[in-house]
Amino acid sequence: MSDRKQNLPQLYRFCFLMLGDSRKAQEILNTTLREAAVRAAQGELPREPFWLFREARWRCLEASKTDLQPEALDMDEHDITPQASSQIKQLDPAQLAIWISAAPDPQRTALALFYLDEFDYLEILDIAELKLSTLSRCLRQGRRQLQAWLDAKHPGASKT
Amino acid sequence: MRTLGLLRRRRALLNCAPISHDRVADRSMRAAVSRGDGSDEFVNQQNFDRAIAELVHLVPIPPESAEWFAEKDAIRVPKWTWRKIVLNPAVLAISSAVVVIAGIFAFHLVGQLNDFPGSATARKLLTVAGSTRSVMLDPVSAEAGTLSDLFFMKHGLEHYDVPDEFADFQTFGCRVFDDDESQRIAQIWVGEKRMQFFLFPAERDGKTGAVLAFPGWRYVRQEGWVGAVTEHNGVCFMAALQGREKDLEPYLSKPKE
Repeated sequence: MSDRKQNLPQLYRFCFLMLGDSRKAQEILNTTLREAAVRAAQGELPREPFWLFREARWRCLEASKTDLQPEALDMDEHDITPQASSQIKQLDPAQLAIWISAAPDPQRTALALFYLDEFDYLEILDIAELKLSTLSRCLRQGRRQLQAWLDAKHPGASKT
Repeated sequence: MRTLGLLRRRRALLNCAPISHDRVADRSMRAAVSRGDGSDEFVNQQNFDRAIAELVHLVPIPPESAEWFAEKDAIRVPKWTWRKIVLNPAVLAISSAVVVIAGIFAFHLVGQLNDFPGSATARKLLTVAGSTRSVMLDPVSAEAGTLSDLFFMKHGLEHYDVPDEFADFQTFGCRVFDDDESQRIAQIWVGEKRMQFFLFPAERDGKTGAVLAFPGWRYVRQEGWVGAVTEHNGVCFMAALQGREKDLEPYLSKPKE
């Protein structure tokens, strides 16, 4: 497996964004890697690219099924502003992970994979098994909702 | 409609535009990015994405998980070695089958290379030689070469001549019989190494009826018996004994007197 396909720090970050919880992300990472190591030892490791990410994604979705689910709300959406970068800089990575992990799937997977800055859009479509139109909608909506959340969280920054 | 579809696709691609420019995957994405590059909306989107990606890269890796990253080879696909390939049951089964098929093919090929007109009859007669007992023959004590006259006079068999190489051997007995193809076969038993001689009609061309001649001596083997066969005047002569070709060779190379 090439190094990019098994970029393990990025795999951990992906799990963290999907679950918003460091302990759970570690658990999923460990389980996924153990499974991969056993399969590799038996010579049964799937040759499909990004198998680790696909496997970790399903495990994350499975793990979060038992969690408390966020209420289905119509979230506010705002246009992206030039001040967004400074608003984001005030965030903690864990806050962002909690926000992304609360998003419904496939938006959650789309945002987590996209913001890893590890894959191009074709690879994301492959890993998340999405169509281009769905990925596009998830990302666009995600940005606008995140902007609305940032505006609510740091109202001062958007006016500067 | 087509233009609307194209615009929609370009918009969709722009929403998925890569954060790092080195991840522009294909031509359509490159085209969409170059068209959207100047717009405020796209610039804002790119800055927004870049800031989020930078934040994601700040996600700390817990030391417990970092242990995995040190073991780089933990999830390495085991490499196929020649030994592994050879010991693979499927490969073993296929190679054994190929060896057996090749062996059978080679056996048939070698058999066919040694074939000559009349070789099938000669082999059958070697089986006859193995099962013949002396009591089955009419006792005749003479030189083998003189039996041609007997075969002609008594049985009407023309050219059933014993070649010069074997003409001097003393006989114990002889007989004439029909084989399963109703061919007249003459069989002679001689004292020398308990050898047996057979005379039988040479094979003929099915269409023209011409004798299928072959030069010199040819060997046939069957069930521990070996025969040296030659053809002359449309009749084949075979000297047979229990043993190997080298046991017959001295007689065949003996110069004619």
